[in-house]
Amino acid sequence: MNGPDELRPAASPRATRGGYDRPRFLWAVTASVYLFLYAPIAVVILFSFNGIKSLQVLDGFSLQWYETFWNDEELRESLIASIQIAAITTVVATVIGTALALGTVRSGGRTGSWLGILLLIPLVTPEIVAGVSAFVLFAQLGVHLSLTTIILAHITFSISYVVVVVRGRLASLGTDREEAALDLGATPWQAVRLVTLPALWPAILAAAMIVFALSFDDFVLSFFTTGETPQPLPVRIYSALRFGISPTINAVGTVMMLVSALFIALAIALPRLLGRRESGLAVLTGSSR
Amino acid sequence: MTAAVELAGVTKRFGTFTAVDDLHLTITQGEFFSLLGPSGCGKTTTLRLIAGFEQPTEGEIRLDGDDVARVPPYRRNVNTVFQSYALFDHLDVSENVAFGLRRRKVAKGEITQRVGEALELVSLAERARARPDELSGGQRQRVALARALVNRPSVLLLDEPLGALDLQLRKQMQIELKRIQREVGITFVYVTHDQEEALAMSDRIAVMSDGVVQQLGAPEEVYEQPTKAFVAGFIGISNLLPATVEDGGLRLGTGALVPAPVPDGVPAGTDVQLSIRPEKLWIDELEDGMASVEGVIAERVYLGTTTQLIVELAPGSRLVALEQNTSRARSDDRWELGETVRVGWRPEHAQVLR
Repeated sequence: MNGPDELRPAASPRATRGGYDRPRFLWAVTASVYLFLYAPIAVVILFSFNGIKSLQVLDGFSLQWYETFWNDEELRESLIASIQIAAITTVVATVIGTALALGTVRSGGRTGSWLGILLLIPLVTPEIVAGVSAFVLFAQLGVHLSLTTIILAHITFSISYVVVVVRGRLASLGTDREEAALDLGATPWQAVRLVTLPALWPAILAAAMIVFALSFDDFVLSFFTTGETPQPLPVRIYSALRFGISPTINAVGTVMMLVSALFIALAIALPRLLGRRESGLAVLTGSSR
Repeated sequence: MTAAVELAGVTKRFGTFTAVDDLHLTITQGEFFSLLGPSGCGKTTTLRLIAGFEQPTEGEIRLDGDDVARVPPYRRNVNTVFQSYALFDHLDVSENVAFGLRRRKVAKGEITQRVGEALELVSLAERARARPDELSGGQRQRVALARALVNRPSVLLLDEPLGALDLQLRKQMQIELKRIQREVGITFVYVTHDQEEALAMSDRIAVMSDGVVQQLGAPEEVYEQPTKAFVAGFIGISNLLPATVEDGGLRLGTGALVPAPVPDGVPAGTDVQLSIRPEKLWIDELEDGMASVEGVIAERVYLGTTTQLIVELAPGSRLVALEQNTSRARSDDRWELGETVRVGWRPEHAQVLR
């Protein structure tokens, strides 16, 4: 209802989009929150291009810290290892999690809801507990710690995130479309493949985005399940810190952010490239229709 | 001719709740059949049983003579128009309509042709490439209809398909649906809680409540001759007066003795209800042979084409009468509030309900 607004002369220069004057201090609050969120990140990026070896003073511009990073073979291997871990974890956890979400929601009844609750427990388990128990388990089974053990541990805790995101979407979709598909002659499997999955895509991508970000920069779980070499990047950085902080850390941090940002950009771009209007990001930020 | 749909002793229980209770229904080929009732009366469950989304706890469901109680929905020759339309948002209009034909492996050329015909039938040919979210509510409704009809099912099931549309569009679609049903000649089973909708479109109506069919018949029948107080009250407005059967008529609660069509076999002394439609009531200027009672005008509401008069017979006992505002009658000043009048009706227009 903006009829009366149109009739009223534009007396107030202040924003009246909602039909009333909003207090200006809200802008200040919002700005401070964003500053608080982004200032540390900006500092890391800025100092990664520092011309001198200092974590306090900026002087000149250089790419020397990126060079040091790239020439450090161990760091390079760690970056690649982290990307591998995150990529494989994302694919496997997303597939299993989506299947579990479909199963627990659509099977209905008490079994489904109990299974659903059980899947949430990893979300509230302290990561340190998960890390220690994974370590003990692998040790008792006599499994040699390696990238594989990290990936297994990551998949285990990532599945819950996928289930939560996908199941929320599934519940809001309702069963009407699936029933319509069955009604039109699709077998239950065809109904899932041709109707449910296409409607779930944005949520599945959103889940994949979260899992990638969580796995890529995970430290605690990785720390307990990693082998000698290559170590995932966060673990590698942690061990490097024991020998003093080098400005290289800023370059590593910036690259890590870049990898995550690239993945998020991919998750936004993919649905649009496929001709859909809704991105995974829209599901996460709640701007989905 | 075999019945299009036959339900024989169908019962559906959800836990301890009985949604459909020992239902017997025979729906003939090419009929526009409505299941009418308030929410929770079992009409939607009945539809879902025919579609195959629910399995009956007991009883048989026959489609074209074959028992299908255990046949899954994707192997039944019926299609459904859902209340929510349930369109596939990732497919355009023509792909939505083609969905059923693709599943049945119909040849490509035939699919194109039949989809075109179906969209023509619902006047949506020019929106074939649009996405469902680009369409208005009425257009989405038509897509849902075309998507179901294109498969030429032996029975089309419609679950409150006009429920989400505004009043004007709903009236328009009622006429449209009736036209389409006549053109394609497919049996329609139509679920609605809107009595006007059911009266306007149906060949026969089953009025349901509590999982049971209360009355089954043509629209005129269920409206003019309700056999139960529930039906009289649910379809249209009805005056229900408590009465006792006596020799030669009914003794009303107000003390008056009126002639009434008491069914055979109802002994004197039985407590019954007398049901009379508001438009069947006359006020003053009565004719010979009419039953009549005396009352006081308690309320007068001008409704445009009619004027509604509420006549109080005794404290707590009221009759609602509708008088046409024709050129002969100027209802605005014909009756004064508080005026004493005689209200009359032809005995055959009243129903005695037990």
